[in-house]
Amino acid sequence: MRASTLLSESVAVLGKELTSELRSRVALNAVGLFGLTTLIAVAYQIGPYRIQEQDRPHLLAALLWVILFFAATSGLSRVFVKEEDARTAKTLRLAARPLAVLAGKFLFNLILLSALYAFIVPLYCALMGYSVQGIASLALLLACGAVALSATSTMVAAIIARASGSTTLFAILSVPLVLPLLVMLIQGTRAAAGSTAIAAVLPALRGIVSLGGATLIISVYLFPVVWHD
Amino acid sequence: MTRARVRTLLQWALCVWLVLVILGAFFYAPSALGFKGESARIVFFHVPQAWVAVLAFCVNLVASLRYLRTRDALDDARAAAAARLGLVFSVLATVTGSLFANVMWNSFWNWDPREVSIVILLLIYAAYFALREAVPDEERRASLSAAYAVLAFVTMPFLVFVVPRIYWSLHPDTIIGATGKLKLQMDSRMLQVLLGSLVGFTGLFCWLYTLEVRLARVRLARAGREEA
Amino acid sequence: MPGAESLVWVAAVTVVIWLGLFAYCVGLARRVRRLEDES
Repeated sequence: MRASTLLSESVAVLGKELTSELRSRVALNAVGLFGLTTLIAVAYQIGPYRIQEQDRPHLLAALLWVILFFAATSGLSRVFVKEEDARTAKTLRLAARPLAVLAGKFLFNLILLSALYAFIVPLYCALMGYSVQGIASLALLLACGAVALSATSTMVAAIIARASGSTTLFAILSVPLVLPLLVMLIQGTRAAAGSTAIAAVLPALRGIVSLGGATLIISVYLFPVVWHD
Repeated sequence: MTRARVRTLLQWALCVWLVLVILGAFFYAPSALGFKGESARIVFFHVPQAWVAVLAFCVNLVASLRYLRTRDALDDARAAAAARLGLVFSVLATVTGSLFANVMWNSFWNWDPREVSIVILLLIYAAYFALREAVPDEERRASLSAAYAVLAFVTMPFLVFVVPRIYWSLHPDTIIGATGKLKLQMDSRMLQVLLGSLVGFTGLFCWLYTLEVRLARVRLARAGREEA
Repeated sequence: MPGAESLVWVAAVTVVIWLGLFAYCVGLARRVRRLEDES
């Protein structure tokens, strides 16, 4: 019988993820480097002056999310694939209940994404001359977007880790699920950049929060199935 | 009447029905106003194809949920059969929609939300099969693809219903929606042919689906006997 | 606007394609029935 609670087990899983990641820094490096490289390539070629004024809102929002998504995809699937590679998956199955594993790894991906956003977004705004009026709205959008993206990615990562574990498969499976999220994020970013009122991002925010919520709820049902296969 | 005879009768009825639908689409239904030439007639095939693609998705979801509950290999076969047909019909729907868009608005692709949602459905089906290919073990393949199907079903409504709402509110001047909007101003004869086509394509889906499931059942029975 | 003749052509081609597909599917149905009767 388990003496530990779901919360303590989740925190323990999260702690394990953070410790092992800080030790080797593989995911951090991959995500950070991909993001930085793409950002520099875009900023160098395009920069603040090459986009016409009327195209700026659309292009700048879209480019930002292209960079962020590209960087994120390189690191988000690691969280389950490394367990299979290192053959620690079986031990983890015995050590913690499935929901705790899901919660811990979801939170880890969330922290990874937040770090990526905190790193890339200010840099992007500076290098591309992107003046965002509603900084609070953007921050809120980024936070909710990170939750939704982490939810979807963690569930897909769990599925592909039990398949071939390749990043290509991860990309193929997540693209259709993440596309609505991406569209809403780009629109929300455009709205946030254009006005200081939180009301401007509310439509996109509603969509993102409900998508994230629905994904989390369905993951609670699906994850034990996939994990215990 | 034996089952086989009922089946044969239904098959021939389906053949006759669909021939009538094709002829009706070209000769019985009048030319639609506001459409370039006769291009509107493709709607009679395009809308049912999109409808069947979504129907197949729902059948896949039900079969996937059942598999997760019963772990019966036949349910997995049902899910895969529905997905296969869904893939075919969503490709057809995308192609016919694209052809229509080219005639009407002179570009093959317009990023209309409805167009995008049928492509997303196509991508989901493609991803579903990519996943199935990547798993050699049958039971694991079945449960992983069932899990993915349920996950995909949960995320789909957001593109179909939520994004258009945001889209329209930020872009009030986008192009006219795809042919779904036509229904309100439809001539009664056009409506007849469209409904007839919907029935026909649904019948086609049912027929192909039951064929695949019957084949899967035979295969499973045979494999079961070989093991014994 | 395409003339009536081309409409007849397209209709004829569509019907032929459908009949071909139908024949193929009927063939498949017969094979499945044979397999079912065997087992």
